[in-house]
Amino acid sequence: MDNDQKRTYLYNAMWLTILTIMELGINHLTTEKSIQVLLLLAFAITKMILVATIYMHLRYETKMLRRILFIPIPAAILFGWALIYDLPFRWAI
Amino acid sequence: MNNNVKGIKNMNDTIAIRDPFGKATTGKLGMWLFIIMDGLSFGGLLIGGAALRVAAPSWPNPGEILNIPLTGFNTFLLICTSFTMVMALNSLEKRSQSGLKKYLALTMVGGIVFLGIQVYEYYHFFMDGFIPETSIYAAVFYSTTCFHGLHVLSGVIYIACVLYAANQGRYTADDTDHIEILGLFWHFVDLIWIFVFTVIYLI
Repeated sequence: MDNDQKRTYLYNAMWLTILTIMELGINHLTTEKSIQVLLLLAFAITKMILVATIYMHLRYETKMLRRILFIPIPAAILFGWALIYDLPFRWAI
Repeated sequence: MNNNVKGIKNMNDTIAIRDPFGKATTGKLGMWLFIIMDGLSFGGLLIGGAALRVAAPSWPNPGEILNIPLTGFNTFLLICTSFTMVMALNSLEKRSQSGLKKYLALTMVGGIVFLGIQVYEYYHFFMDGFIPETSIYAAVFYSTTCFHGLHVLSGVIYIACVLYAANQGRYTADDTDHIEILGLFWHFVDLIWIFVFTVIYLI
């Protein structure tokens, strides 16, 4: 790993700030709510990837470790699907 | 031979075994494992909140209740603390003990200010009658942001302990593992906030 990465870290912080400001601006757009939600989620995921790869140094880790970190995602999707399946029954009692 | 490859000599043969985790230490792998589990906890809260939102007959617009500009500033503050945390590690790698202490202290102060702003926000909500019992929306808001706030508090205490050890001269450029592990935790807290801010405050 390069010993002096100050510039990369600083640029990353700047991009994160710019993306946050853009997120705040999305709420003021006159587009449909669904498009706003998609844009906001895309921006949030981009910011999370920037933090994980650059600040958490995930790009320097092995492929195996990076793959293991994605295990919770299918688990979360399964949990979400189970909850959505349960929703029609929830308020029926 | 690659750094990730360990050679085992067995009689005349050499068997190369590739370490699947490279140079990551046990402590670092432990923190990654904790992050996976903690991420699932946050996932449970956020997905549960989303399911309640889908099921609810009406859901308020967050902008009408929450102070989004103030929380936007808090998000910016947490991004800044991620920068100072990674600079603490960078300073240690460059053998700068003063830089390590300075950036750790700045990160800790940033975390305390973040918590202070969150408490200020809660105080005003309570004064306005927006309490967890008010609605499902309020319950989702408080459970998610309080859970994250507890992580920030844990991080601040963790940084204080590491800063105390750094003042004793415990960390050197040859052993940056402790600072890397602390950094992983703090960046995870930042990473989760990015998603919580979007889901709870903006959507």
